[in-house]
Amino acid sequence: MNVVHGVTLQGIKALKVEVEVEITGGLFVIAVVGLPDASVKEARERVRAALRSLGVSVKGRVAVNLAPADSPKEGALLDLPIAVGIAHAKGEIRVPGPTLFMGELALDGRVRRVRGAVPAALLARDLGFPLFVPEGNAREVSLVKGVRAWQVGHIRELFAHLRGQSQLKVIEQAEEATGDPKPDPDFSDIKGQVAAKRALEIAAAGHHNVLLTGSPGSGKTLLARALKDILPPLSDEEMMEVLLVRSTVGLPLDSSRRRPFRAIHHTSSTISVCGGGTNLRPGEVSLAHRGVLFLDEFTEFRRDLLESLRQPLEDGFISVSRASGSVTYPARVLFVAACNPCPCGFLGDPVEPCRCSPSAVDRYRRKMSGPILDRIDLCVTVPRLTPDELVQAEGQGGESSTRVRERVLRAREVQWDRWKNLGYQCNAELPEKALRKQVRLDLDGRRFLKDVAGRIRLSGRGISRVLKVARTIADLAGEENLSTVHLAEALAFREGGDLPWDR
Amino acid sequence: MAKHIDLGAAGEAMAARELLKLGYRLIDTNVRMKMGELDIVAEEGGEMVVVEVRTRTLGRMVPPEATVGPSKIRKLVRTGRTYMESVGWEGPWRIDIAAITVGSDGSPKLEVFRDITVGIIEP
Repeated sequence: MNVVHGVTLQGIKALKVEVEVEITGGLFVIAVVGLPDASVKEARERVRAALRSLGVSVKGRVAVNLAPADSPKEGALLDLPIAVGIAHAKGEIRVPGPTLFMGELALDGRVRRVRGAVPAALLARDLGFPLFVPEGNAREVSLVKGVRAWQVGHIRELFAHLRGQSQLKVIEQAEEATGDPKPDPDFSDIKGQVAAKRALEIAAAGHHNVLLTGSPGSGKTLLARALKDILPPLSDEEMMEVLLVRSTVGLPLDSSRRRPFRAIHHTSSTISVCGGGTNLRPGEVSLAHRGVLFLDEFTEFRRDLLESLRQPLEDGFISVSRASGSVTYPARVLFVAACNPCPCGFLGDPVEPCRCSPSAVDRYRRKMSGPILDRIDLCVTVPRLTPDELVQAEGQGGESSTRVRERVLRAREVQWDRWKNLGYQCNAELPEKALRKQVRLDLDGRRFLKDVAGRIRLSGRGISRVLKVARTIADLAGEENLSTVHLAEALAFREGGDLPWDR
Repeated sequence: MAKHIDLGAAGEAMAARELLKLGYRLIDTNVRMKMGELDIVAEEGGEMVVVEVRTRTLGRMVPPEATVGPSKIRKLVRTGRTYMESVGWEGPWRIDIAAITVGSDGSPKLEVFRDITVGIIEP
């Protein structure tokens, strides 16, 4: 029976690859079949050199088959299983039972770090196979619970281990990082901006997307960065999802439960944001999964990039289809956009006059993608603080992030309890139908909404958005029923309601 | 006989003697096949070896081993394969070059290049 297995990545999942080896007579040559890509084909030279460094001389024609034969294999991580497979076929070593190997070989036999160790560890755990990974990947694997894994520094050590001459180091499960990382920046470091802070608190509590508008230097970026630290910590399951994506890309891992924060620049390409490329890789929107995706200078982004973000914002995942196959990456993000109110940036500023013509402001505004704005529940202006205010506010920044986070957590628990029978986690996920049924207004509230909606021409979708935000505000306040107070606050954050150009 | 033919024949005789000392077991020399000739066929380390002998006098611009080019290698592979088939050998085999440089005082120097096709021929 064939016992040597490798892995290849398909999206953020690892696929088991059986490595079959047959050695026959003839001139020395290693032939790799089973849809290998260029880096797998090149494994031949690395494998030969690494085996020779151990004194294992390979002769004759070596045929390596990677099964299943119909799915493409990519990456240098198949070097190690191919080398082990050849040595096993020659009888140099004996692999006792089905085992997973992964790693790239150096010519001298050292084993190099590869990407995708976390998906491989999950696969090994599900299959119940032991796993051998490069030393450089040991930390990632240690974060996966319940996997039997060993770390390999040099292929010589692995062979000695399989021959029973010595023991490789077992990867112990990592201690969880104790204590929360210090919020950076902390809410208390941000002066003033009470309205914006309140909006972020609501956004964190109900998972509502936010648009921040404000003059240059008013602190939009700082506020967005502070948002990640008032979000509740990652749960076990969410943490695994975040690790999976990071490991697939090959980024270093972090065992803290802080949510990811990814800021993308407006010159980013669609592929770098959404994922894809010749070797399919997850993009920024997947790296921000379960965390915050921040788009600074929102109006400068290319239209097609913004349009391609519509699907992930709606569904929580992104499908990338290529000729080589289609993969799905997770992409459930809290979307935060920031932009200036007008081209010069000072529209609505109390001191600096705006120098833009009305048509320029109009053009600027039209750059914003309607369908994306449609998915934004909270719009808030971030005013520039006057020098007076800045000096006065010295030393009194308000509440700390930790305090705000406690409130957010409580509001999340309320929502979790309320919606768990319906299968939603937070207010923002609620579809229209469920909303009408579940969110009840008292008579006063109904009258108030009718009155205001009529006066400011609130659309049907506008009303349901106001209701969702109002629900979150009530949850933050710990109240069962929606009242006029909550509705009034929610109306203040409605799209356009607080944008200077609509005044 | 022409001078270079003599040199070549002397080189092949010397290569055969020296290879014996290196642990090769000679099986055949000057095997003529339809598509070409194999200078020496030997056995070493459980493998059959086709040895191509090249002899040159010192001072030529190109060393002897460099005179085996891609087309000669292709020819050696083809001829070697046919030979192995004709003698019924199914195990591994390889191609070596024995390069002899004759110094100005007439003393020959032998170098053996083992397994020259590694990494060159595609599966």
